[in-house]
Amino acid sequence: MKKIHRVVVTGIGVVSPLGNDKKTFFANLMAGKSGIRHIESEFAESLETRIAAWTDFDPLAYFPKHKANSLDRVTQFALVASQQAIEDSGIDLQAHDKDRIGVYLGTGMAGAASLEEGYIRLYRDNASRLKPFTVLMAMPNAAGAQIALDFLLTGPNLTFCTACASSTISIGEAVRLIRSGEADAMLAGGSEALLTFGTIKAWEALRTLAEEDPLDPGASCRPFSKNRSGMVLGEGASMVMLESLENAQARGARIYAEVVGFASSSDSAHITKPSVEGQSRAMKMALNNAGLQAADIDYINAHGTGTLLNDSTESAAIKATFGDAAYNIPVSSTKSMHGHLMGAAGAIEFTACLMAMQQQSLPPTINLNEPDPECDLDYVANQGRVGVKVDTVMSNSFAFGGTSGVLIAKKL
Amino acid sequence: MDTFETLRSIITDKFDIDATKVTLDATLETLELDSLDTFDIIFEAEEKFGIKVPNDQVEIKTVQDVVNLIDRLRGEQGKK
Repeated sequence: MKKIHRVVVTGIGVVSPLGNDKKTFFANLMAGKSGIRHIESEFAESLETRIAAWTDFDPLAYFPKHKANSLDRVTQFALVASQQAIEDSGIDLQAHDKDRIGVYLGTGMAGAASLEEGYIRLYRDNASRLKPFTVLMAMPNAAGAQIALDFLLTGPNLTFCTACASSTISIGEAVRLIRSGEADAMLAGGSEALLTFGTIKAWEALRTLAEEDPLDPGASCRPFSKNRSGMVLGEGASMVMLESLENAQARGARIYAEVVGFASSSDSAHITKPSVEGQSRAMKMALNNAGLQAADIDYINAHGTGTLLNDSTESAAIKATFGDAAYNIPVSSTKSMHGHLMGAAGAIEFTACLMAMQQQSLPPTINLNEPDPECDLDYVANQGRVGVKVDTVMSNSFAFGGTSGVLIAKKL
Repeated sequence: MDTFETLRSIITDKFDIDATKVTLDATLETLELDSLDTFDIIFEAEEKFGIKVPNDQVEIKTVQDVVNLIDRLRGEQGKK
């Protein structure tokens, strides 16, 4: 029988509304700080909801001008997060067979800004032609391709596009590839940069966005709270370096955790409406894949979007999965602080889980001030917890379209 | 509008290349500009000079080749 390789995380990179490195990001999560703010772009006045979790990011701090100009923001985020993950892992790429290292990236809207800029030229400004780089900046695989180009990684290179679950799936599929022995290491994660006028208007039309809190824009996303009114769009990227345990141990790498379980499934129920059965099935499959019992899970990073339907459905699905044990498992939605990063959401939340294990601390769900009888679990309300046992974590992503992705990681 | 000076400013603005390196006999290759970069330069030049560069292009190797092309098209397309 073929050997199944164990897979570990050795490096983390983060570009986020709560800071552009893993430490700042996690410190802000633990402090209950919100990255949700007023949108400062010119188009903000034409929006009904003028808040988003946007990222402070100066491309010229990372790239020469001509390169920055030829890369969509989604690719810029992905490259910076990848560079961080590589450095953090301490891996010497030159010393490895780079055919055995690949890139799996998740994104929802990919190069949305570049496409929109092209359309503005074409339809509004009546230009007769578009910028030469338009296709190369907007194509969904641009970010993954550019990572491979910059770091000369010649292993498999795939882009996963399953809306809000994209980067949970990309990480999970990368884990599978290493498990099967087809790669030694994978850079995996997600990137999203969809805060353009057209994209936000499209989300607005779907009536899933949160209303702005009149007193504090940062308090607008309220997962699991009775007064929740929807999600808040966010942008950023997170990438992790995954390696086979042998590879990591052979080079004496610092190991964050082992990825012990992954599952993906489809609700096949409704294009937007979440399903208790579908979500629960995915969580059970992931537990089964990890060979773990319900009682083994110390923390769940919920999908927790802050929409009425998601949060009650997910709570019910957790109960359906874990039974009575559900009430003993802390569950939090860090989206209350970093917003919904869509294609990057799964990766950044998985990263939050890895940091939670490393620091034995649980990030809170902020803005949880009105109990909802349908959401009656322990949501780590408003106050993070330090000095708690966090050895095994579950990270949930449930997408529009019905794709579920669940990752389970465990401290070694 | 001087063709070379304008072209040089397009190249130096876009690519952070030292202006002294952008000479008429410099090849695009030595300036580390690839075919996509050349498209990008031509795109800017079309805007600046009000010309339209047809797709069936003559071979471009040096900055002089680009200047010649622009000058020819400015003449042919009657825009100064």
